[in-house]
Amino acid sequence: MDGQLIDEAVDLVRSRWASTPLVGIILGTGLGGLVEDIEVEEIFEFDELPGFVPATALGHRGRLVCGRLDGKPLVALDGRLHHYEGHDAGQITLGVHLFDRLGAGGLIVSNASGGVNPELTAGDLLVMESHINLMFLQVGDPSSSNQERAGRMLADPYHPAWIETALGVALERGFRATAGTYVAMTGPNYETRAEYQMVRRIGGDVVGMSTVPEVIVASRLGMKVLGLSAVTNVADPEATDGTTAGEVIEVARSLQPAMRAIVAAIVTGEAQADSSQ
Amino acid sequence: MLELHGQIEEAVGVIRSRWESQPRAGIILGTGLGSLVEQIEVEASFDYGEIPHFPQSTAISHAGRLLCGTLEGLPVVAMEGRMHMYEGYPLKQITLPVRVMKALGADLLVVSNACGGLNPDYQCGDIMVIDDQINLMGDNPLIGVNDDRLGPRFPDMCEPYDRRLVERALEVAGREGITAHKGVYVAVAGPNLETRAEYRFLRTIGADVVGMSTVPEVLVAVHSGMRSVGFSIITDMCLPDELTPADVSEIIAVANEAEPRLRTLVLGVLAGEQAG
Repeated sequence: MDGQLIDEAVDLVRSRWASTPLVGIILGTGLGGLVEDIEVEEIFEFDELPGFVPATALGHRGRLVCGRLDGKPLVALDGRLHHYEGHDAGQITLGVHLFDRLGAGGLIVSNASGGVNPELTAGDLLVMESHINLMFLQVGDPSSSNQERAGRMLADPYHPAWIETALGVALERGFRATAGTYVAMTGPNYETRAEYQMVRRIGGDVVGMSTVPEVIVASRLGMKVLGLSAVTNVADPEATDGTTAGEVIEVARSLQPAMRAIVAAIVTGEAQADSSQ
Repeated sequence: MLELHGQIEEAVGVIRSRWESQPRAGIILGTGLGSLVEQIEVEASFDYGEIPHFPQSTAISHAGRLLCGTLEGLPVVAMEGRMHMYEGYPLKQITLPVRVMKALGADLLVVSNACGGLNPDYQCGDIMVIDDQINLMGDNPLIGVNDDRLGPRFPDMCEPYDRRLVERALEVAGREGITAHKGVYVAVAGPNLETRAEYRFLRTIGADVVGMSTVPEVLVAVHSGMRSVGFSIITDMCLPDELTPADVSEIIAVANEAEPRLRTLVLGVLAGEQAG
């Protein structure tokens, strides 16, 4: 991670947007529609933000949106970078550093995943309570100059109260939602049947190709984390039909109302906590 | 990955200057299993050093030639000498020959390897027809900006090995009295052989055999729209509680002993291609 680039990016954002965001959001596959609910105050395309490179993945754009949701300030990365696109951990997690430097105390990250827990069906929401890192990606310690932060434990990166909030809001709205473990692999190919079975045997509920590097950095920076995973397909070891990227995006979109409500509830909660302090 | 298209064209250009046939299959054979290529009626042969973007032959421990010709009358292109991740080659370079085979017209990849047996029902010297694979190499040849001319961004892997070819290989084995299993190959980076704890882990996650190759080539074959058929020779058994130090000369001896049976299976599969 290039400290100078992040300084320049922070300066640029601050030159045009003065609020302190309560949370930063990374919008994953098919979930970019959340942006429509944000009262946009400022937009930065990735190619004008120092250090950011344009996203190449299907269903992803590439801009930083600054604005408000129900009147509460937040920032959102519309479009994310993946390891499978050839980006290193520094590039992938740059947005999280930016969130942190802008003052966001929490990260909300979304993704699309394949369900391996037989109780999951396509269209379910999995609220991440843990993850297994099979990406073989080195995520440098973002805060090696800060002994206090460097010593933080990563034992529980996902904020328990936010998990409860997310599950409650989703169920209230009639969505199927459960807490579980996300396994990150490199991709970009979808997993083989044998790989799905492996993921299940080691304790995974879903498998995807993102999120874990960002969560590791956010956690080490002391941010609260919420991970929302749209289960866009389920791995049936006996199934012969394949997975297509188009289907994945379509199913992910069906979960947008749940995601929106969860983000709104979290942001409202954070705003209340802020004002009561 | 955007650089690959030009590299493939340049490599194909050199091969086409001396060989005009359209291969039906591309063949990559593993450690100690290379003598099948001796049966190829060679029409053109290229040292890897002659083909642009192929790894330089000086870096390869064995032969390092691309053979173009016919095997039992079927036009094929075969690699004599294979590259591994543990030798330090990037996966994109290791798998470039597969893309070149496809560009020459081959729509079938035949691949073999020597591997360690994890499934206690297997025996040293047995052949396994690969039914499925697990990638634990920590890398993937498809990482990078995708070139849509070469294949899709997110290749589906629900059938990396062609089911009909797996069945055909097992049929040939049954007919010829060859012991052949059907199972899962897990690829690790190597180059060290695994610890007992790692063997236990790999068995637990569902693998029948473990090796250090094949998975990158098959990922690229699937990405390219090629069918694949793969064979593993179990050259040593890796049962965690009965582990003895591996002896490389013994492994090669087992591979050599198994080779005639492997050849029968490969030729049987290719004969089906001829008929079809």
